[in-house]
Amino acid sequence: MVFLRSEEHLERWLDANGWEPGASLTATKLNELARRWWWSRLDPDWRPRPPAESQQILDDIGLTGAFWQLA
Amino acid sequence: MDDLDLRIRTHLYASFVRDGAAQTPEAAAAALGLEEERVQEAYRRLHDAHALVLHPGSTEIWMLNPFSTVETPHRVEAGGRSWYGNCAWDALGIPGAMHGDAGRIESDCPDCGELLELEVRGGELVRGAELLVHILVPARHWWDDIGFT
Repeated sequence: MVFLRSEEHLERWLDANGWEPGASLTATKLNELARRWWWSRLDPDWRPRPPAESQQILDDIGLTGAFWQLA
Repeated sequence: MDDLDLRIRTHLYASFVRDGAAQTPEAAAAALGLEEERVQEAYRRLHDAHALVLHPGSTEIWMLNPFSTVETPHRVEAGGRSWYGNCAWDALGIPGAMHGDAGRIESDCPDCGELLELEVRGGELVRGAELLVHILVPARHWWDDIGFT
């Protein structure tokens, strides 16, 4: 997952590498996602998060649809 | 992943944040008073459970997500220290993982190489909000090749 300057830069980057587009989101949305996703990672009592909870985080952020389905 | 694996994992994260470097199985075994072989086995189980990522074919730690143990294009200042995130997602996750409200991220646009700067304050993105984020790999395939993802 990468940050890019704009849609124009994204299209050039995909073309240059011959890659099909995946999914785009705003940096603001990613910040919201990243904060929730990683918040407990350093907690001493950390336990693996059940996949359903991870999926719920994506859903809550509005990242829905086939691309964002974990399984 | 059993209780010993979780104990080792907690130690690895804490020591990485303290020292800025990932411990080898030998160092972790010495710190925890365990046999090195048992620690190596735990590293492999933690890797298989996606609780950390090892360099291919070794017990050398590559990722303690969201932290990278090696240099990447995603540089983070948080908690008064410098870190590398594995990707855009991880870079923005480091301030939160450290339960801090602030962080600065520098990355490079993979198209033009231009420096991209982001800043988080009060948990909100206050700089770099105009930037775009792109992920190539669908969620169900993220762990097929986590380095590429």
